[in-house]
Amino acid sequence: MGVTCVCQVPVAEGKSVQQTVEQLHKKLEQLGAMKQGSFFVDCETYHATSNASGQPSKLLYVMHNSETPLSCLALFEGGPFLTADANFDVLMVKLKSHFQNAKGHKVESRGARYRYCDFLVKVGTVTMSSSARGISVEVEYCACVVPGDCWNLMKEFMQSFLGSSVPELPAVFSSKPEGLFVPTDCMDTMSQYLELFSKVRKQQVLPGSSVR
Amino acid sequence: MADVMNVGVNLEAFSQAINAIQALRSSVTRVFDSLKDGMKNKETLEGREKAFITDFQDNLQSVNRDLNELERLSTLVGRPSESHPLHNSGLLSLDPVQDKTPLYSQLLQAYKWSNKLQYHAGLASSLLNQQSLKRSANQIGASAKRRPKVQPSTLVLPIQYVDDVISRIGRMFPDLSIELFRPNGTSAVLLVTLGKVLKAIVVMRSLFIDRTIVRGYHENVHSEDGKLDIWSKSNYQVFQKVTDHATTALLHYQLPQMPDVVVRSFMTWLRSYIKLFQTPCQRCGRFLQDGLPPTWRDFRTLEAFHDTCRQ
Ligand SMILES: [Zn+2]
Repeated sequence: MGVTCVCQVPVAEGKSVQQTVEQLHKKLEQLGAMKQGSFFVDCETYHATSNASGQPSKLLYVMHNSETPLSCLALFEGGPFLTADANFDVLMVKLKSHFQNAKGHKVESRGARYRYCDFLVKVGTVTMSSSARGISVEVEYCACVVPGDCWNLMKEFMQSFLGSSVPELPAVFSSKPEGLFVPTDCMDTMSQYLELFSKVRKQQVLPGSSVR
Repeated sequence: MADVMNVGVNLEAFSQAINAIQALRSSVTRVFDSLKDGMKNKETLEGREKAFITDFQDNLQSVNRDLNELERLSTLVGRPSESHPLHNSGLLSLDPVQDKTPLYSQLLQAYKWSNKLQYHAGLASSLLNQQSLKRSANQIGASAKRRPKVQPSTLVLPIQYVDDVISRIGRMFPDLSIELFRPNGTSAVLLVTLGKVLKAIVVMRSLFIDRTIVRGYHENVHSEDGKLDIWSKSNYQVFQKVTDHATTALLHYQLPQMPDVVVRSFMTWLRSYIKLFQTPCQRCGRFLQDGLPPTWRDFRTLEAFHDTCRQ
């Protein structure tokens, strides 16, 4: 698991989500990246129904990543985070009385997976209730585990196909109390997706952007 | 005439001397001619002998005279200047038809080359004498039985000494952690962890580094049976490249008499990869070329270059 950066790429002026995604694919292929299958990341939202302590109830997010098909990740708003087996989903059904699935809040990103040297690039269409809400790009530099080491290198790579919309260092790294030089884990990637998804959720529905 | 004075040769005497040599040669020839012809036909035997001896004496005397003359002249000729680096051949530079027969400049070139050749041959021979170690010494087979092989002393260093050298190197570089294993008898295998950047497995024979393989910090260094995996290459292109360069470095840092210096130099070089992902190329100024960071480190300056950007 290398260092990842997940960012939202704005839809190009006068283009649809689909066209912008295709444009990105083309740029990657021109660079010499090879298409290597597809990927998805999804996220369901649960509300805690009972609240014994009287504190404001926190949201629980349950996420899946095709990169780790045997795991399921549960993230409480603001922590803690936990990695579980894939049948955690079944457990959630059993916990129906405590955690209610917020229907219609399911967000996912699906798309193609590209490999370029030691980089992995995933260009996804972010959809919510089957309408395309935006584009996510995940770049992973697989050879390095320390964000502070390879961030500038990753930035140079992202510039080569994202142009001006290169993101800043993800907050998940910069806000770590141990600093930029602790090895990353898959939770860092998932919190970046979670952040992107919540941004997309609040966003207005793009006109005329139905996926299918 | 000024040139002649510079060379220190009296040309007048020189030409006389040449004449004297010719005279000497012809008188010597006359001696042998008369000896070859033998006695001339005369009436009496005594007459024949007498005439022959007189002839012979005359001839010898003229040889003697000519020789004396030559010796006298040779003192007048004078010695060619000793200051000339090529001694008498320096006189070739006086040849007025330099352009047509560049003998002298060619001679100088040849002299220079032969000097150089001798110098380099000397160096090579002293180096080869030191290099009694052969990397595949144990493959000699049958011939080894007949002739007891001289073990190079540096190949049979005591284990304790090797351990000391390695631990001293480990203390020298705080960002380099070295673990020493001996999975197969006395030969050491080092697991070198460089910061959070890479891990290198270094296979040693005594204090000589046999091979090395570099993998990512988060890659497995053990195989499934829990042993140190000294064979599989890294999954990442960047570390495959670094492995190639590290192998080149092993061949570069060679000093058979001082193997500990070699190990230290290699570790110093390897340590420069601590900023593998942080340092842009010193030539093109970029981080990436064909998706790879600058994987080459100069052996002397330790500067970072892309493989294609180095000279
Ligand atoms: Zn370069």
